[in-house]
Amino acid sequence: MTVRLGAATVLDDVDLTVGAGERVALAGASGAGKSTLLGVVNGTVPPSGGSVRVLGADPAALRGAALRRLRARVGTVHQHLELAGALRVVHEVNAGRLGSWPALRAAWSLVRPQGVADVVAALEQVGLADRVFDRTDALSGGQRQRVAVARVLVQRPDLVLADEPASALDPVLTERVLGLLAGPADRGGALLAALHDPALALRHCDRVVGLAAGRVVLDAPAAALTVADLAALYGTAA
Amino acid sequence: MTALLARPAAAVPRLRRDRRRWAWGLAALAAVCWSATGALDGVNPAGAAQFGAFAAAALSPALDGAFLGVLATAALVTVAYAVLGTALAVLLGALGAVAAARSTWGRRRLGRLATRGVLAVPRGLHEAVWGLLLVNVLGLDPWVGVLAIGLPYGAVTATVFGALLDEVPRGPYEALRAAGAGRLAAALYGLLPRAAGGLLSYACYRLECAVRSAVVLGLVGAGGLGYQLSLSFGSLRWPQVWSAVYALALLCLAADVAGRAVRRRLAAPRRRAGVLSRDRVLTAAVLGTLVAGAWSWWFLALSPASLVSARAREQAGFVLRAAWPPSADGDLLRSVAAAAVVTVQTSVLAVVLAAVGAVLVAGVAARPAGRCSPLRRLAGVLVRLGLLLLRAVPAPVWALVLLFVLLPGVLPGAVALGVYTLGVLGRLAAEAVEEADAGPRAALTALGAHPAGGWLYGVAPLVAGPVLAYALYRWEVTVRDTLLVGLLGAGGLGALLASELAAFDWPAVATVLTATVVLTLAVDLVGDRARRALR
Repeated sequence: MTVRLGAATVLDDVDLTVGAGERVALAGASGAGKSTLLGVVNGTVPPSGGSVRVLGADPAALRGAALRRLRARVGTVHQHLELAGALRVVHEVNAGRLGSWPALRAAWSLVRPQGVADVVAALEQVGLADRVFDRTDALSGGQRQRVAVARVLVQRPDLVLADEPASALDPVLTERVLGLLAGPADRGGALLAALHDPALALRHCDRVVGLAAGRVVLDAPAAALTVADLAALYGTAA
Repeated sequence: MTALLARPAAAVPRLRRDRRRWAWGLAALAAVCWSATGALDGVNPAGAAQFGAFAAAALSPALDGAFLGVLATAALVTVAYAVLGTALAVLLGALGAVAAARSTWGRRRLGRLATRGVLAVPRGLHEAVWGLLLVNVLGLDPWVGVLAIGLPYGAVTATVFGALLDEVPRGPYEALRAAGAGRLAAALYGLLPRAAGGLLSYACYRLECAVRSAVVLGLVGAGGLGYQLSLSFGSLRWPQVWSAVYALALLCLAADVAGRAVRRRLAAPRRRAGVLSRDRVLTAAVLGTLVAGAWSWWFLALSPASLVSARAREQAGFVLRAAWPPSADGDLLRSVAAAAVVTVQTSVLAVVLAAVGAVLVAGVAARPAGRCSPLRRLAGVLVRLGLLLLRAVPAPVWALVLLFVLLPGVLPGAVALGVYTLGVLGRLAAEAVEEADAGPRAALTALGAHPAGGWLYGVAPLVAGPVLAYALYRWEVTVRDTLLVGLLGAGGLGALLASELAAFDWPAVATVLTATVVLTLAVDLVGDRARRALR
């Protein structure tokens, strides 16, 4: 997968390839362009120049159902979660399957939830199974973050994009969630995660890409890096 | 690992449906079916020719210079009434909002209920009824038009302003209170900034409504565009009727565009960094409103003295004495009850018609946030124009037209009010769609969702609540409007009121007005309960 960009302000001439099975951490200070980079890959941010290839295909060349099929293979935990909120948890999680569900099934599921067993299994993995029929806006920030993770789990994507997926979680759940999100990478997919915590990045990823002011300033195997190397990206001593 | 993660696979919890919501849903369904049984009146095929002539004239409005001059002057009168009426309403609304807000009263529900009861009296009566009553007190004074709009609008504005304040997240306010700020200061810094956009947007929307109300006042004799419309309608001059309708639509469009521009600026202020500068559009809007207010005052030659003149006091005393006590005659009460049933059925059908239509057109009517095809843009413009035309033509005009082809009863009133309310509700639904957070839908598109699926899971949950709440508000408004449509010929409490007013039977008028206010209050309470179940 190649990402080439010429967006003047946010991302400047970024050239990055993530291979099959790789777990890549994006590091960098706030405003470095991590979220934008993830947005370009999942198609929510249109690149102003350059080319993007996702899972061997060019999203810009695809339309309609073909584009949707490609997008269904890319799962994202968004920084702001982007849950509707006014729905029960089961529907928010099921929304991960909208890429494979026809519209009628999606509509019927709002009346009679479909595939509840899978949803509960996914929620079980993030420790939320007992909240499956609660309203999402009744949950705490950390619980909502886990709902967003469960959505990616039922989606079963090949490429996982995660933007600070554990920012509101305790250490135990953080380890758990990052392990779950790395699942597709272990099966030949890939993980691209923006992580602020250097220790977390080094523990869960095998490669770290550092961004500063929209440029790649670091690209090295995690094994060759220390927490101090990453802390330097943020301009602080470890 | 903790016990949380190590425990065995959980059994699937049972899906508990929300009984309260289901009860409301079933009750609403029953109400709609019951209302539909009232609408089984026939069609009047004989009127089809006249209806056809009316419709055909849409493409050939009267455009001769003399008539256009008359229309222009009439339009100025309408605008002046609308501006001063809205100014009065916003003033009253701002004062009343504090008293109407749930947050002001907290657990002291009695105080809030009392406020709502007081507000229900002015808003329970239609502007036209206020006009007819005020004419009996003030004579043919321009104050009649201003007060007839300002009093009921002020009460509605107070209720809505109060609800808007209630809907603002309380966190910032509580934080400021906890930090020792006074209630007023905390409201100014913690509540008002979040609510300001909604409040101003609603004020703009009220101005738009006031233009139509000013027309309606004309229909019952207060002058302006409505008076011209009714003169032309009475003499079956369809081309002139359409000229008046188009003039009115233009006025509404101007109010719509101006209100939107102001609102957009409020949502995204243009500020230069580090400089405290005023926004030109907003400054112009504020100055323009002040100038328009002053001009309207001069143009209508309003004089505060006539409000408190000896004659006005004497007339008010006479009408009040004549109307007290209200009549409690058995026959009258029976016909009031029958008319109330017709009124409720008409309003329920109208709102259901409008809500279904609004849901269907909201997606197309909303301006898309990102890039879109020219075809989609054109469809949006056409639907918005259609909605504008629907709400530009006052409901009574729709009713008069429909009475060509439908027999008097529930159906013509319901269709007329439904068509008109669709114009209003369609726009409100489209705005709810525009204002909804675009993130959830974008996230669903990014994971490959079908556009319909993205809508159902990413947009509908966000807008369903506001749109249903709007529909319930409109139901309250429609009950009032049913009265007006009745005044001009359809059935219900309005028709009864018209006949009692014509007979100067003041005790009977008082009874019908009381019944109207009670009905409005009841509808208001039911609507409020239903809205709370929706939350």
